[in-house]
Amino acid sequence: MAAPAVLAEQLSKTFLVAEKDPGFAGTLRHFVRRRYRRIEAVRGVSFAIAPGEVVGFLGPNGAGKTTTLKMLTGLIQPTAGRARVLERDPYRREAALLRNLTLVMGNKQQLIWDLPVLDSLRVNAAVYEIPWDEAERRTAELAAMLEVEDVLRQPVRKLSLGQRMKAELLASLLHRPRVLFLDEPTLGLDVNAQLAVRRFLKAYRERYGATLLLTSHYMADIEALAERVIVIHEGRLLYDGWLRGLVERYAPFKEVRLELTAPVPAEAFARYGRVEEVRGPRVRLLVEKGALTAVVADLLGRFEVRDLAVDEPPLEEVIGRIFAEGAV
Amino acid sequence: MSERFAKVRTLLAVYFAYMLEYRAEIVFWILGGLVPFFFMAAWSEAARQGYTAYTPLQYARYFFAVFIARQLSVVWANWTFSDWVRTGKLSFHLLQPLDPAWRIFADHVAERGVRLPLLLLIGLVFALLFPGALVWPGWTPLLLGLAASTLAFLLSFLVAYAVGLLSFWFEDATEIFELWYVLVLFFSGMLAPLSLYPEAVQRVLLWTPFPHLVYLPASYWSGLESPDPRGFAVLGAWTLAFFAAVRLLWWLGRRRYSAMGA
Repeated sequence: MAAPAVLAEQLSKTFLVAEKDPGFAGTLRHFVRRRYRRIEAVRGVSFAIAPGEVVGFLGPNGAGKTTTLKMLTGLIQPTAGRARVLERDPYRREAALLRNLTLVMGNKQQLIWDLPVLDSLRVNAAVYEIPWDEAERRTAELAAMLEVEDVLRQPVRKLSLGQRMKAELLASLLHRPRVLFLDEPTLGLDVNAQLAVRRFLKAYRERYGATLLLTSHYMADIEALAERVIVIHEGRLLYDGWLRGLVERYAPFKEVRLELTAPVPAEAFARYGRVEEVRGPRVRLLVEKGALTAVVADLLGRFEVRDLAVDEPPLEEVIGRIFAEGAV
Repeated sequence: MSERFAKVRTLLAVYFAYMLEYRAEIVFWILGGLVPFFFMAAWSEAARQGYTAYTPLQYARYFFAVFIARQLSVVWANWTFSDWVRTGKLSFHLLQPLDPAWRIFADHVAERGVRLPLLLLIGLVFALLFPGALVWPGWTPLLLGLAASTLAFLLSFLVAYAVGLLSFWFEDATEIFELWYVLVLFFSGMLAPLSLYPEAVQRVLLWTPFPHLVYLPASYWSGLESPDPRGFAVLGAWTLAFFAAVRLLWWLGRRRYSAMGA
């Protein structure tokens, strides 16, 4: 069995954060006697990701996702536990490892702001020791996949957010890394740009067999790319398994959408399950899977139904519920 | 070897293009470094009144050399690195197989490429304003002055970078470098030729890096004061000491890096 591409063993990170009260008195107290608070951002998280696997990394804001990614990419040192990427300790910054991994951060940029994208690519090609003719070939290939051929000669500051994000991806992947850490890669992008980034990541992974660990608040990203998800909450691992398994385990219900011929009060549906929404003649219910057939039959018999659809509940809702309840 | 050469060439070319974008800012920066000319005016006036050993023209020559020596050793690595740590930009550089210091170093060296033509222009204007002040120092003093100036730049860069590394501990450490600048101002020969300082002070200063940062190259170029070649050894020793300090601060500081903002 191949060694995992990414391995986290009891990974923990604690930050000491100085606290200061507002106002002059608070400033004086802070100056004389500094007060610190320990924040356990990540607490004993363990998982392994096989080469070529795509894993969604989920958790609410402040759950410890980005801190975990920072430890896995060697940016920060774990307080306890062990991180391994391609069997190496990322904190040591060995060139052999750095040439094979990348971190894409949706809210940050590595491109040189005042220069054309190509200049940043030239620097990256030199830093990763890629001969320029080879770098040009790769640039052309990636630019075509990302559909950004026509913006490479423009200064970065003149690009739209979507173009910039695609150019960031290009710069981050020029050295063809085998392990990609992606932190909110579609943050702030419009629907078309999100779709393009997803398509690109899928194509890149298929073409190069890369391993991906991806965080995103857009569940569509996770659904499109990952089959497996890791969920963390308050620094602890809550779930590690198939995405569908997560839905089945934590959302043992189906979504039933009705369109009636005339509006009916919400109370009339309470007996069937959870009434999620009643808007005029449109009704959305969450019904336990075991009772689904009986409920649908009853609804069709009791109400004048123009249309009825049964589906899995939106992943956003399932995840939202897990985070809101805080325990899995 | 060719890969290393490609790295150097590309970094210099790209950062030169980057610095060209900031050419107007560099002009103002140079104008902010005209301080030696104010001292030149004061000492020339004193010379006219017969208080000093040199003539006004000799002072003009000396302080122009001081101006050039200062311009060639201007550094801002403290500011850049501190900004990287505070904003989390350092993270991207940590992900690449290149010590982040090289990028900042390339940025400084490339900036000299933009600054040099402007300095030549100022030299031309100076020669027109003070005819006879600038004289050809000869190849050997010119090259020795350049060697001293290069070493002075290296040391200044390492000191600034070390100060920038303190950002791992303090929210903003860049101002600590102001202290270094004050010491340079008083003890580097920018205020006056060091031969005018009390002998005891001169003896002590010899072991510090300050006089060798400016006074040593300026002495070679102006031919006015007799340069002390021991300055090379002192500069070299301080450069090695700060190189070691930089490595240590990097090693210790990285443990404290929290990659905030990234």
